[in-house]
Parts: sequence; structure tokens; C-alpha cells
Amino acid sequence: MTEDPHAIAPNPPQRALPLHRQMDRIWSDLPGWRGSVASVNHGTIGLRFMATSFLFFSIGGVLAMLIRAQLATRDGAFLDTQLYNQIFTMHGSIMMFLFAIPMLEGLAMWLLPKILGARDMAFPRLGALGYWCYLFGGIIILSSLLFGVAPDGGWFMYVPLSGKTYTPGISADVWLLGVTFVEISAMAAAVEIIVTILRLRAAGMALTRMPLMGWYMLGTAAMMLVGFPPLILGSILLELERAFDWPFFDVLRGGDPMLWQHLFWLFGHPEVYIIFLPAAGVLSTIIPVFARTRILGYGAIVAAIVGLVFLSFGLWVHHMFTVGIPHMALAFFSAASALVAVPTSVQIFAWIGTMWAGRVDLRLPMLHVIGFFATFVMGGLTGVMLAMVPFNWQAHDTHFVVAHLHYVLVGGFVFPMLAGITYWMPMISGRFRVRALGEAAFWLIFLGFHGTFFIMHLTGLLGMPRRVDRYPDNPEWEWLNLVSSIGGMVMSVGFALFVLDIAMQWLFGRRSHRNPWKAQTMDWAMALPAPSYNFASLAGAGRHDASVTLPLARGEGLLPGAPRDRREVLVTEPGTGRPDHVAVLPGNTRLPIWTAAAIGSFFLLMLAGLYWATPLAILLILWAAWQWGGFMGSRRDAEPLAVAPGLALHEHWQMRNTLAYSGTVTLLVADATLYASLLFGVAFLTVIAPNWPPPDSGLGWPVLLTGAAALLMMGLGLVASLLAEAQRAAPPGRLAALAGVAAAGLALLLLAGVAWQFDDPTRHARDALRAALLGYAGFHGVVTLMLALRSLADVRQGRTSAMRRGAAPVWQLFQAFWLGTSALSLGVVALQEIG
Amino acid sequence: MIWMARVLAGPILWGALFSGIYGLHGLGCGLDWPNRETPLGALHPLAMIGAWLLGLALHAALIRWNRALGDARQAMLVRAGNWIGAVASAATLFPVIATSTCG
Repeated sequence: MTEDPHAIAPNPPQRALPLHRQMDRIWSDLPGWRGSVASVNHGTIGLRFMATSFLFFSIGGVLAMLIRAQLATRDGAFLDTQLYNQIFTMHGSIMMFLFAIPMLEGLAMWLLPKILGARDMAFPRLGALGYWCYLFGGIIILSSLLFGVAPDGGWFMYVPLSGKTYTPGISADVWLLGVTFVEISAMAAAVEIIVTILRLRAAGMALTRMPLMGWYMLGTAAMMLVGFPPLILGSILLELERAFDWPFFDVLRGGDPMLWQHLFWLFGHPEVYIIFLPAAGVLSTIIPVFARTRILGYGAIVAAIVGLVFLSFGLWVHHMFTVGIPHMALAFFSAASALVAVPTSVQIFAWIGTMWAGRVDLRLPMLHVIGFFATFVMGGLTGVMLAMVPFNWQAHDTHFVVAHLHYVLVGGFVFPMLAGITYWMPMISGRFRVRALGEAAFWLIFLGFHGTFFIMHLTGLLGMPRRVDRYPDNPEWEWLNLVSSIGGMVMSVGFALFVLDIAMQWLFGRRSHRNPWKAQTMDWAMALPAPSYNFASLAGAGRHDASVTLPLARGEGLLPGAPRDRREVLVTEPGTGRPDHVAVLPGNTRLPIWTAAAIGSFFLLMLAGLYWATPLAILLILWAAWQWGGFMGSRRDAEPLAVAPGLALHEHWQMRNTLAYSGTVTLLVADATLYASLLFGVAFLTVIAPNWPPPDSGLGWPVLLTGAAALLMMGLGLVASLLAEAQRAAPPGRLAALAGVAAAGLALLLLAGVAWQFDDPTRHARDALRAALLGYAGFHGVVTLMLALRSLADVRQGRTSAMRRGAAPVWQLFQAFWLGTSALSLGVVALQEIG
Repeated sequence: MIWMARVLAGPILWGALFSGIYGLHGLGCGLDWPNRETPLGALHPLAMIGAWLLGLALHAALIRWNRALGDARQAMLVRAGNWIGAVASAATLFPVIATSTCG
């Protein structure tokens, strides 16, 4: 194998059209609607994400108009209070969970392979699964509005309001289960994005030379990986409390509503930056193109991204300044909230500097960029105001905060996304836009937005609280609200015009020529509209920009065409981009939609209160998960594939550090965060919550000994997994896999024995936390058992050899993780018993 | 990826320090440390100031020892990571010397 990527020689040129036909036959979606649900191609899935999220955005926008219609006059009779509560809750929830996050996921999936010089995302089926989970979860959440059972406790669902006492019925369950279902897509996307950026970049594209969009998306995905688990955990705990009366948040039984606030905002504040970073990536991509120059301060921007990613996790308590937290803790978070403005400002100044250094061409995407500057900077400044504790106490829960968050989110996400859509539309549609409509849409959105929200700062400073549906005793707020409502209607017309502009471009626009903006990045190094496979051959070392269009289309790059009728991609080393091996990606399959349906059946049964039937759904999910493994193996040892003259690489089945391995490590980071959040819950309730210490447990050595025996089995399972890989080509390998299965099964049985000895989890939060820790161990036991079984099946079915390892490396990771977290959990129980 | 670990070392140290001192603050308030006297003063502020100073010393060690690696841009990012962590620890945790503990 060639050590120096610069030494890779080009492949001989071929005729581009036959190559295109060959590639398109392998990479394109199947025809018809039955074929369309089988698509796993990143282009299709990414566009579906974006289109669906825009549909939800429209629905959220209609709800916003209902809110504005209600508040236009002080005695608004348009909505009753209950419906108003549902509408503002759904507006926030839809915009956050069904628009912003999926929109950025869609953009990442659609764009990243193109801009990094790859053919697809690392896990195409996972992307498709994420989309179907998102769609099904979104439909569940939205249906609640039609059936009159929509959540009505605000988009952050504070307890005790969202507990069973104050919110009987299923409205809060819709939120908790629906959002958790949707967030499967966020976790899937985070794993996919990280592995794609680190392992699928063009050969020789070092991490420090990749387009800034790659850095932004890497930061975003890392934040999603760590930011979403606390919310998922909080939702699980609250649903357990509502469904089974486990008192995590019930003060009388050792719980604390503050735990929900911590878990929610541990997600909720990073969420702002999760939304902002991809938008900033769009800006860093677009601004140099229209300023006709290079981005200023690449290194400074990367450093700023690193700073933002970390600092954004030190801000969450600034959403809780008024709940009675000690001064010192307030000061920590106030200082961090002010400090985070610095890396944000570094980027703002880099963009301004880039425009200053270049010659700005004020085309439509740049209009939206200007809209971003005018809006986001103001939102950032009011953010610094709100970071100051004394001001925050005054403005808390007023319309000032509503204005601030809309300036940040619309300025920091919507305007950049509109810029991005108008910028990349020629690549999506292959057409130029129709003149003037887009400009009119921009001005209506811009003026309408500021008409709505600028004046809302004043409404808030005059004391109008959030979430009130009438204000009969405050006539001084009425004209301000009326102006906001008129502005809101103007903005709506603007968005409608924007959609019309896009539709007109798609239907009637002139055919676009290649690279219409004369951009430098690799996403434009292809014919328009973008082909299903992106690149007929992959860029080697050297130039990674739009100038390589023709050589790549003629197959002069690496891994040309699809001579083996498979979807082949080049996997590179994370830092240097050196070619490592060839991964064969799965083709069209309906497995993702069936798996999403199986997962959905679990959530629906929970929602219906049919808890007794949920094991059936779990079995269905396990069956679907087992089917996924069918593709993950090969029954033959293959010769290295010729990638370029003098460069031959192995297929991924013969490698250890595969995409799947990287993805598992990444997933376990998220898993560890969820576990750490659970331990935080244990520590928080133990130290802070009232009504501790709990009643005596009566547990003693028997439970600790049973737990220790389970740990011993997990340890034996780990040894078995190591042996199964080491002896994979010999009979002991099969024996080791069999022993691993037996050890996992026995460990699960012993965990059941621990559960039998535990106290009733409804008695006290301590007991509920123990049950949660045990449930966590049990869940991982089932996953580990599945992987051990898969490894056994690999051996039995001839999927392992001296060169092929099968599922054993991934099994080892989960086995070690299960052992480690279970040992910690047992330690916690032991400490509680001793203490 | 060793380079990436070097870039992230400073911010990770800040994250550990920030969550550690915040946790220490909650633990101290829960265990009534402000009212436990030591020869150098109340235990709670003492513990937190000690932890903060120790953390700043670790940041100084990082700046000293976590030297630049690779080409100019890589080296710049390692330096930036070191300083981001150090400045963040100094700025976000200085309240340990400025305000009351559990009030």
C-alpha cells in the first residue's frame, strides 16, 4: 500500500457518460413509491429531512400566527386558554424538535459527502432509519393537536406541572414519548456525521485543510452526542414517573423537580449552539464565495468552534437564575454566559473581515446573510444582557426573553438556512431561480420579523409575561402587541413567497450551468443537479476543490465507477486523510422503515397505556435489529481492490478499524453521557433533594453478592469476546462465542435476581434510581447478548477467517461498557448501603 | 488523532474543573461545609479556592508542556486550545474568590 498519498497516480481516463450510467444504476433509488421507501442514499434522505422539516416549519408558523391573532387585542376571543396553551407549546416544540434539528440533520446528510469529496454518508441505513423515526414521531406529535390532546405545559415541560397530578391524560406523554422517538434520528445523525467527517473525507484531505463546514458539523455532532442524552434520560425518567409512579420528581418521596430542569437545560442550552453552528458553517461557506475571496482566519474560526462547543455546556443554569440557586453558582454560569460571546464574536469579525477584504456581490443568498448579521448580533447582545443575573431577574419569563430567543434562533438559524437554500438550490434542482421573487420574499421576512420582535423587547420590559392569552388590565401593551401581530402576518407572507420562489425555480427555472456561483468547494465539482453517486471517481491527494470536476467525472480519480456492482467508498484515516480501506455500503432496502415502524409500535403502546403488550414490540425491534446484521459480513476473503495505479486496498470486512467500529465508539460516548447524567441524578437527589435519607432498604450482602456474580459473568463474557476474535479461524473461536452467549444470558438472569431483591421503586426516589440503574444494565445486557449471538452466527455461517473478524470487535466494546457501567452502579448501591 | 487530543486537552480540563467545582459547591452546601472551620478558615470556600488554584496550575502546566505539534495551523490550534481552557477556567470560576458560598 502506498504510504504517501501524494504519490497516488491517476487512473486512465474513461468516457464520462457510460461511467455516469454505470454509477447511477448502482446508486440511484428504486423506481415507484415502493422503491422510494427503500432509499438509503444520502442525497434523497437529506432532501427528505429538509423538505419535511420545512413542512413542520410551516405548521409551526401557522400556530405562531394563531398566537399573534390571539394577542393582537387585549381581550382576544380567538382561542380559549386551554387551546392557547396547546398552541404555544406545540409551536415551540415543533420549531425546536421537528424543524431546527431535522433541518440541520438534513443539510448535513445532503451536503457533507459532497463538500468532503465522498459518495455517501458512513451509515446510509442509519440515516434512513433516522428519517422514518423523525417522520413517524412528528406525525404522532402533530396528531395530538388534531385529537385535542396536545401537550400544553410549555416546550420545556417543567414538573410538577407536567406530572400526572397536574397533567392527567396523555398530553404530556405525547411530548415525552414523541420527542424521544424523534431524537433517535438526532442520535443517529450525530454518529453518522462524526464518522463521515473523520473517516470518509477525500484522500489526502487533512483535518486542518477540510472546508470549514466540516469543522462546524463536527462540532455540532459532538454537541448532539453529549447534549441530547440528558434530555432523553429526563424524558425516560418523567415517563416512568407518569406511567409507573416512580418518584424521581416527587418531593414527598425524595424526588426534586429541579432535577428535571437541570436535565432539560443540560440539553436545552447547548441546543442553541447545536442549531447555530451549522448555520455558521453555511455562512463561512457562502460569504467567501460572494466576497470573491478566501475566508479570513481559518484557524481562529476553528479555535472559536472548539471554544463554543465546550463553553456552551457551561451555560445551562442561566435558564434557572430565578429558581433559588446560591449566588456563587449563579456567578459561575453568569460568567460563562458572558464569556461565550467571545468565540461567537471571533466568527462575526472573521466574516466581516472577509467581506471587507473582498468585493461583495450582493446576490440573493447574501441578502439573507445580511439579514443574519442585522438580527443575530442584536440577539447576541440581548443574550449578554440576560446573562447578567440582576437584569435576568427583572426580565425573566417576560416577552423580552421571547424577543431575545427569536432574534437568536431566527437570526442565527433561519436566515442562514434561507441563504443556504437559495445558494444550493441550483445543485438540488439543476436550475436558476426566477428573478425578483426571492428578493421580495427576503424583504417581507426581514421587515416582518423585526416588526414582530423588535418591539416585543419593549412589551417585555413593560412587564408582559410569556404565555398569557389575555391581558384585559394592561391596555398599555395592546398597541405593541398589535404591531407585533401585523409584523408577524407580513413575515408569513414573506415565507409563503419564499416557498413559491423555490417551487417556481424547480418548475420553471432555466437550466443551470455547472458551478453557477464560481465557488471553490468540492460540492460544486459535479454536474447539476447533483448525481446520485456525487463523484464517478474520488479525489486523490492534491486539489480538493471545484476544479477537479472533469477529471473525476472521467474516472481519473480513485476507485472509479462501480465495476463490481456495489456501492464502494474510500475510508481514510481520521487525521491525515490517508486511504485506509474500501467500505462496501448497503444498497436500497426497506429494513429502515420496518425498523422504525417496530420502534414506533413500542412508543404507541406506551402512549396507549398498553404496557403489558410492550414486550411484543420489543421482540419486534430485536427481530428487526437482527436483520441489520445480515449485511454486516462476508463469507469470502477477497484480494485487495485496485483503487489507483499502485494502490490496492482491502475491503472493510477484512479490517478491524471499520466504519462500524468507529460508529460504535461514537455511540458509546453518547451512551456514557446518558449514564453520567443518571449518576448526576443520583448525586443531585442524594445531596440536594428534601426528604432524604430514605427509609431503610433492608438490602444486605445477598444483593451485593448477586450483583458481584453478575459482574463476574460480564467479565467472563469480555474474556470470551476477546478469545472469539483471537481464535476466530480455529474451533476454540466458536466455543468462545458460545461461552460469551452463555455468560451474557447468565448475567442477565443474575440481574433479574438483583431486581427481585430490590425495594418497591414507587416507595422513594432512591429506590426508583436503583431500579433505573438496573434497567440500564439490563438494556445493555440484551444488546450485548445480541452481539454475542451475532458473533456466534458469524462463526457458524463462515463469516470469520484469519482475515475476517465478524462482529467480535463491536461485541467487545459493548461487553466492556456493560461491565464498566454495571460495576459503577453496583458501587453506588454498595455506597448507599454503607452510608 | 493525538493532535486532536492535544487541541482538546485545555477545554477538557476546563470542563472537568467547571463541573468538579460546581459539584463541590453543591456537595459543600449539602454537607454544611461553610460552617466547618479549619485553621485557614471555613472549609467550603477553602476547598473551592484550592480546587480552582490547582486547576489553574494544571492549565499552566498544559501551556508549558502541551507544546505545538505538526504544521503551523496545527500548532496554532494546540496553543489556542491551551489558552481557551485556561482563560475559561480563570473567567468562569473566579467567583470562588468573589462571592458567598451557599447564600
